[in-house]
Amino acid sequence: MSFKEKLLDFYDKKYKLLMIIPIILIIFAIGQIAYQTYQTGDFVHKGVGLKGGSAITLYKESPVKEMQSFLDSKFPGEGISVREITSAGKTLGLVIDSERQDKDGVAQLVAAVKEQSGANAQEYTVEIVGSSLGESFFKQTIWAVIIAFIVMGIVVFAYFRQPIPSLAVIAAGASDIIVTLAIFNLTGMKLGTAGVAAFLMLIGYSIDTDMLLTSRVLKRKEGTEIEKIIGAVKTGLTMTITTITAVIVSLIFIESEIVKQIMLILLIGLFVDMIMTWIQNVGILRLYLEHQRKKAHAAIKN
Amino acid sequence: MLILFLVFAVVSIRPEFWNEGVSVRSVIPHSAASDAGMANPKANSAPLNKETITAIDNQPITSLADYYAYTAGLKANQTVYIKTNKQIYPIVVKELKEITVLNETEWKEVEEIITTNETVNGTVQAVNKTIKTTKEVPKTIEKVIGVEELGIKVSEAATTNIRKGLDLEGGTRVLLKPAGQYTLEDIDTTLESLKQRLNTYGLGDISVRKASDLGGNDFILVEVAGATEEEVKDLISKQGKFEAKVGEKTVFVGGQNDVSYVCRSAKCSGIDMQQGGCYQSASSQWGCNFFFTISLSGSAAQKQAEATSKLEVVAKEGGQGAYLSKTLDLYLDDKLMDSLQIGAELKGRATTDIQISGSSQGITQQEAVYNTLASMKNLQTILLTGSLPIKLEVVKIETLSPLLGKEMLFNALWVGALALLAVALIVYLRYRKPIVVVPMVLILASEVILLLGFAALTGWNLDLAAIAGIIIAIGTGVDHLVIITDETVKQQAIIDWKEKIKRAMFIITGAYLTVLSGMLPLWFIGAGTLKGFAFTTIAGLSFGVLIARPAYAAIIEVLLKE
Repeated sequence: MSFKEKLLDFYDKKYKLLMIIPIILIIFAIGQIAYQTYQTGDFVHKGVGLKGGSAITLYKESPVKEMQSFLDSKFPGEGISVREITSAGKTLGLVIDSERQDKDGVAQLVAAVKEQSGANAQEYTVEIVGSSLGESFFKQTIWAVIIAFIVMGIVVFAYFRQPIPSLAVIAAGASDIIVTLAIFNLTGMKLGTAGVAAFLMLIGYSIDTDMLLTSRVLKRKEGTEIEKIIGAVKTGLTMTITTITAVIVSLIFIESEIVKQIMLILLIGLFVDMIMTWIQNVGILRLYLEHQRKKAHAAIKN
Repeated sequence: MLILFLVFAVVSIRPEFWNEGVSVRSVIPHSAASDAGMANPKANSAPLNKETITAIDNQPITSLADYYAYTAGLKANQTVYIKTNKQIYPIVVKELKEITVLNETEWKEVEEIITTNETVNGTVQAVNKTIKTTKEVPKTIEKVIGVEELGIKVSEAATTNIRKGLDLEGGTRVLLKPAGQYTLEDIDTTLESLKQRLNTYGLGDISVRKASDLGGNDFILVEVAGATEEEVKDLISKQGKFEAKVGEKTVFVGGQNDVSYVCRSAKCSGIDMQQGGCYQSASSQWGCNFFFTISLSGSAAQKQAEATSKLEVVAKEGGQGAYLSKTLDLYLDDKLMDSLQIGAELKGRATTDIQISGSSQGITQQEAVYNTLASMKNLQTILLTGSLPIKLEVVKIETLSPLLGKEMLFNALWVGALALLAVALIVYLRYRKPIVVVPMVLILASEVILLLGFAALTGWNLDLAAIAGIIIAIGTGVDHLVIITDETVKQQAIIDWKEKIKRAMFIITGAYLTVLSGMLPLWFIGAGTLKGFAFTTIAGLSFGVLIARPAYAAIIEVLLKE
């Protein structure tokens, strides 16, 4: 047997064993999110757009460390964070996040940033978000995600009319989101408004491949079960790989911070989705079909 | 069908890359340009329909640099002929005057409108009369210190009908939340008043709209393109409740009912030299006083006459003249701004001309002058347009620099093309058939054109979130084209093309409906923060699934059937 055949054989026979991978991932993700919540009180690092505060984006090269120490000495104890924005390995500028929300406070901060970097009015943008807006936005987003899942569950069920496979589709989507969130937390990045959009988008991408799999396996007559699955895997992986390529290209070259975060989350999510669709969803689907066959068998015996 | 839609899309984008000149973004009221009859462009006019300046004094103007270079050399009282795509405007350049008020006074004949009670046909009526009186006024010296700007705010002429969002064009975006009790009507009135305020202030390219979120909260979103002016924030966040009181009695409020005229020319407004002009205060800050005159309507003047008639006359210290026992107090948003002493001769008289004054500070003298003139302009605008029915609270402010926007648009376009190329490469590696790759890339490109055409047609602003949405739409577009290809080209067991395409469409439709239902909640959250993103994604997916993908299936069928 060639390596490829061995691999396919393993994928065919040991699908129950393979399901350990998604289960471990989900347990790890829930653990990470629980730990994060215990440590910080929130299950994700919230950016300015979600928590309230101000973000100054400076499009001028200026050393990060010097800016950080300058701001720390000027505004001690405020926890102002400075990070770099890069595109294709080139430094474009800095983002300065703070909890300041009042106009005068932010103006002081802007003045300090200008003083340190020598930037003119054309070279920076300022975003101020009131904390009440940030909080309500975050709460609503969680609601939006829950509503999205419920509505999608209904749509999927209406499409296939079989509860277990429909649940498997939704479960694959949900575990994708949870695991991606945990990995995102590990990067130490702060989740912004655009990141929330990325997570919602991820639901779409993730569901795409699950729908493909379920349609192929349940609605096709020709071919054995594993042939149908392998066919779906081929199509699905082509889909995911083209998307991943486009995402990586954008991630490297795009200059906008907003788009960058969207792309990063999509990238993590697409990798996780491969596991969730081709191991977890396939596993549940095969277990379900096996159970159906046994039931049919038992019915004939009686 | 696809081709039909494509043609339609291109027509609505109407690319005119050869467009040169600068387009008129807004015209400042009372400027030389507005005196010559130039008008503000309509708020909802398509970018290509804006008036475009093509030449000044027969010198062709093809870029912003040309415009600024030519207008910088203008002299006072010179007439320039600005040629636009509509007509030629002869504009007389105004002098920029500095008025210095001396400590001496002079007697001047002035016109004054007074209201008197007259008996007409047996009933007592208030009648406005214009009388000429001689008044003691401070002596002034006018000095020409330069030329006033023409008062046209310009931008590069648009080459397409696609509206660029604030992220790409630069400007200020403010999200406001109404405080306290209000009705929907109040919000509508506020939207109108805010628009009027910004227009009166001299900002033409504005968008004021209502937004709401899932929690049932209402917001007002104000976008001022091409402006990063600090004072804009004050202008829109203030309720602008202006009240003038004598004692407890309100004499007049802001708005056209009570205030018939607000002087905004250099003759009767500016830095008030009589009150000391600019001065350095103890805390090493500079402060300046401003003044401007307003005219009250007859009824407001009458109210003032009633309020002052009961007051006592108090002699001034030192015996020169006398004033009334109470002052005229000016309140802005319930804060006392200034108290004016009322001359004894005004007791019970219905004067219509009132001088308003105030002050502002700055770190340097120059900054103090700038701030003072800005707050004067603010107050003038508020007096002209009246107060908003509700109090507003600023919840989010963003200022975006136009320079960055331009670079970002270019970058986004470039990245989009690169991503498309990378996708084409992967698809080629999988199928090894140019016959599959070429239609795929063409279809994806036409999807983008369709989306942009739709954006141009509906007047939707293209911002960064929308560009992200376009990228996503292309991403799922590729996914679905791969499904179609696999179901048709790779599927050998079934011969019937109709069956093949039906199967592919089944999967695509299922995925489309699910993603669509997932996107809908996004539409409503966060006061429209993600609306652009959700909208472009939904529109992109819908165009793809309903128009472009069936077209791809048809092309593949024709090409591969033999």
